[in-house]
Amino acid sequence: MRKLGIVALGAAAALTLAGCASGDAGGGSGENATIRVWLVGTDTPDTARDYLVKTFEEENPGSKLVIEEQAWDGLVDRLTTSLSGSDSPDLVEVGNTQAAAFTSAGAFLDLTDQYDALGGDDLLPGFVEAGSYDGKFYAAPLYSGSRLVFYKKDAMEAAGQTVPTTLDEYVATGAALATANPGKSGIWWPGQDWRNALPFVWENGGEIAVQDGDTWDAQLSSPESLKGLEEVQQAMQTASVAPKDANETSPEVGFCDGTTLQLSAPSWVKFSILAPVDAEAPGCPDQEDNLGVYALPGKDGGPAQVLAGGSNIGVSAKSANPDLAVEALKIILSDEFQTIYAEGGLVPAKLSVADKLGTDDVAKAIAAAAGNAKATPTSPRWADVEAARILEDLFVNIAQGGDVKTLAEEADKQIEDILNS
Amino acid sequence: MSAAVTPTTRAVTAPGSLDRARRGGGRRRVTTWLLSALSVVLFVLFVFPVYWMVNTSFQPNNDVRGSEVHFFPDNFTLRNYETVIFDPGRTPFLPAAANSLVVTLLTVIIALVFAFLASVAVTRFRFKSRRAFILTILVIQMIPGEAMIVSVFRVVDGWQLLNTIAGLTIVYIATVLPFTIWTLRGFVNGVPVELEEAAMIDGCSRAGAFWRVTFPLLAPGLIATGVFGFIQAWNEFIMALVLNARPEMMTLPVWLRTFLVANGTTNWAGIMAGSTLMAIPVIVFFLIVQGRMTSGLVSGAVKG
Amino acid sequence: MTTVDQDLEPAAPSAVEGERLTAPGGGKPQRRGRRAAGFTPYALITPAIIVLAAIVGWPLVQLIITSFQEFGRAQVFGAPPNWVWFDNYIDVFTDPVFYGVLGRTLLFAGACVLVTMVLSTLIALMLVRLPKGFRMLLTVGMLLAWAMPALTATIVWGWMFDTAYGVINYALVNWFGLAEFDQHQWLINPLSFFMVAGIIVVWGAVPFAAFTLYAGLTQVPGEVLEAAQLDGAGGFARFRLIIFPYLKPIFMIVTMLQVIWDLKVFTQIFALQDIGGIRAQTNTLGVYIYQTSIAGGDFGHGGAIAVITAVLLMAISIYYIRQVLKEEEL
Repeated sequence: MRKLGIVALGAAAALTLAGCASGDAGGGSGENATIRVWLVGTDTPDTARDYLVKTFEEENPGSKLVIEEQAWDGLVDRLTTSLSGSDSPDLVEVGNTQAAAFTSAGAFLDLTDQYDALGGDDLLPGFVEAGSYDGKFYAAPLYSGSRLVFYKKDAMEAAGQTVPTTLDEYVATGAALATANPGKSGIWWPGQDWRNALPFVWENGGEIAVQDGDTWDAQLSSPESLKGLEEVQQAMQTASVAPKDANETSPEVGFCDGTTLQLSAPSWVKFSILAPVDAEAPGCPDQEDNLGVYALPGKDGGPAQVLAGGSNIGVSAKSANPDLAVEALKIILSDEFQTIYAEGGLVPAKLSVADKLGTDDVAKAIAAAAGNAKATPTSPRWADVEAARILEDLFVNIAQGGDVKTLAEEADKQIEDILNS
Repeated sequence: MSAAVTPTTRAVTAPGSLDRARRGGGRRRVTTWLLSALSVVLFVLFVFPVYWMVNTSFQPNNDVRGSEVHFFPDNFTLRNYETVIFDPGRTPFLPAAANSLVVTLLTVIIALVFAFLASVAVTRFRFKSRRAFILTILVIQMIPGEAMIVSVFRVVDGWQLLNTIAGLTIVYIATVLPFTIWTLRGFVNGVPVELEEAAMIDGCSRAGAFWRVTFPLLAPGLIATGVFGFIQAWNEFIMALVLNARPEMMTLPVWLRTFLVANGTTNWAGIMAGSTLMAIPVIVFFLIVQGRMTSGLVSGAVKG
Repeated sequence: MTTVDQDLEPAAPSAVEGERLTAPGGGKPQRRGRRAAGFTPYALITPAIIVLAAIVGWPLVQLIITSFQEFGRAQVFGAPPNWVWFDNYIDVFTDPVFYGVLGRTLLFAGACVLVTMVLSTLIALMLVRLPKGFRMLLTVGMLLAWAMPALTATIVWGWMFDTAYGVINYALVNWFGLAEFDQHQWLINPLSFFMVAGIIVVWGAVPFAAFTLYAGLTQVPGEVLEAAQLDGAGGFARFRLIIFPYLKPIFMIVTMLQVIWDLKVFTQIFALQDIGGIRAQTNTLGVYIYQTSIAGGDFGHGGAIAVITAVLLMAISIYYIRQVLKEEEL
């Protein structure tokens, strides 16, 4: 029995040693290092990824660059831990609305002295603001997505409708399409999709929240916002047969099986719709000629203020190779790299590259939409509002026909609780 | 005396004697038939989700999302498996499976050894902090682990063990240890000390008696507890998500979840193929140890 | 539990008399043999203690400290935290959201435990009476369900309840003619969300509980079972009076485990929320703690909620803990 005790102690000792032994392994600095880049979602095309790896490894012989793809869902959770650890990725993409949570916490390296080298005033101004905190520049713009309205030309024509020129007409057109085609969506709008609802709030003169000194005052229940929210409810109820509790993934499915006649979605959805029939996520390339596109119109005509969706990218403060990470960042913000984004239908991070978007309908619509984009509140805690999914919950309830005023007041309270805590 | 320590045998013989005792009586026969019919219904209820997972995983995506529901994979395809295992655009399956397997097996083995030692201590010895130890083991199981993720992350980070098999394994050992010690303690308790004493009279040393007599009798107990450790370690995903963020260090649950929260398209057929792949090892493991598990569980549980 | 057994022994003389000592009651002989020894027992528990101290003990201390601090994301990245003492606790106790989550968790766990235990007991009794072939069949079915990882199970059930392509809506509409279930959204209504979650939890928990209870039943002497054959009126009473006392210790443990597991339920709810449903209305304590701390970046309040949850669990299981301690007194 005593022997057993000794064995046990031995095991314990081995365990303790294992903990200390690997003390200084991993991550040399300077030459021959490996840079880990976190790109989120599938927005960055493969050609861009290959270009980044190839160019970086050419310019920095001996060093390697590895791209690790992350999912948007739960990104804030993962960044909170990963960036604070010793095995932090070097360069991370973060949603523009989430950036403040990390710039304010000191998670990113101060890039103020690199600002000009990275592109200076040529960088998208709204995104530079999103990546700055307290007068310092932490996270550079990566790209901006813009939201477009896709529709079926034949259905539009059959229902005797034309492309709407105001926001009210947009809802009316959607309802008319739905009425003419029972069981189909005149505007496909699943309940969780709050990003498409914000233009209605803004165009009616409302806001999500405004800053008043040190505190944030949520505005979703202001008379202006309520007007917009009611319009959203009307659209969701009269024009959409999408599930009231679903999220906005897979918009191409309904479009391809014919149950969706019109929808508002990020510009890359075009590629999902036109994907080959035998792809893992099959599309319907035969619809190419039938696929119409325009920028969401505003209250009084012209493009609406849509949500400036997109990403920033910063160097982790804990990066073992900050210099190399900055080198990689420079490649990402080079004209060549950004052109790939533009050709893929995303608004590039630099104003000077915007003409690479092309000249077709989609490009014109993207340019129009991007020109009038607007951001979520610039609070460091806004990311927590998103993580708590307050807006998803709000619009699911609105989609179900709940009382807009009561719901908006509840959401305002929750948003203020978070922003002011 | 030896009969007293064979719960396994008893578990097998008791129902048999019942069958014999139950013979005769028409009403009973009707009841038996009704129960049999009911058992088939229950069987279907338990198995259907498993069947549905496998069924969906063999269908092309167009069938899965069609207006007709296919109860058999009539357009049988292996494409979904091909996609989830080999598609270069996805986080690779094979490394994730290897990570999961290694972490889980290491966890089970080491946790069993540690738990075994500890349970011998609390059942065979009187010592000062024995009660405190047992109480701790019990109370630990009531702390919600989600709250400690960041603290655990910092501990593991401090050891430079982020994104390693060792780091995750140590965390899992700690996660399964309390329950493992708790259950094993019941099993060791179930083996009477008198047996060892008898062996000692025959000339064995105390440790020798323990190894030769008690240890073999614990086999079902070790298996039953091992199963729990296996399930827990195999399924855990929040710690794995946070501690092993590098794609090449992912475990299967984290890998599977990347499909669920993927941007763009929810590929149900692919997800079902992934789910099937993740469930297979557990099912195989269960079928292997199945016979010994149930008998083992009780002798552990009875001792409370 | 020793007392129960002693009462029973004379009442149920049995051919397997000698064996029963170790089954439901017993335990005493071992204690007699437990010996005092200086160094060995400590050495034996050392490995376990080290692992637990490092991975549970130290983080637990930090958790408690954090619950008294204002601890946000900036503190994770190294900013010094402020002590706010009991402010986090006061906030939590005055927050109606917390009570909503708490009430929901208690109701959900209570319902799951109740349904699981009733079903498991019935299935265990049924297993005893089933002809061999059918017993095998049901056993295999339950093993398969038991072997399904919780995450996988949640995903599969979520898929079966899918709004557009789910087999359950399809069956309800096409087989039972319930047209209102066309495109029915199971996860959107919190009550219905928890019904689905409950099905997943119970489906996964019944096999373990039923197998354990069945194994317990097989240790009940045949004559006792025979005397308690549930034919005709009074079956329940006979079960309660004759069989249950034998099962009681096992029943207690299984119930206790279910209580602990169901109150801490995380994976099923977390993954089901990924599939659909309104988070604010479907959070349970485990998920709420995660949402508050990791996702919401508010570790102070998250810590306070976690400490409260742990205390609550201990309070609920105090009877069980006392029972254990009483036993260990000897």
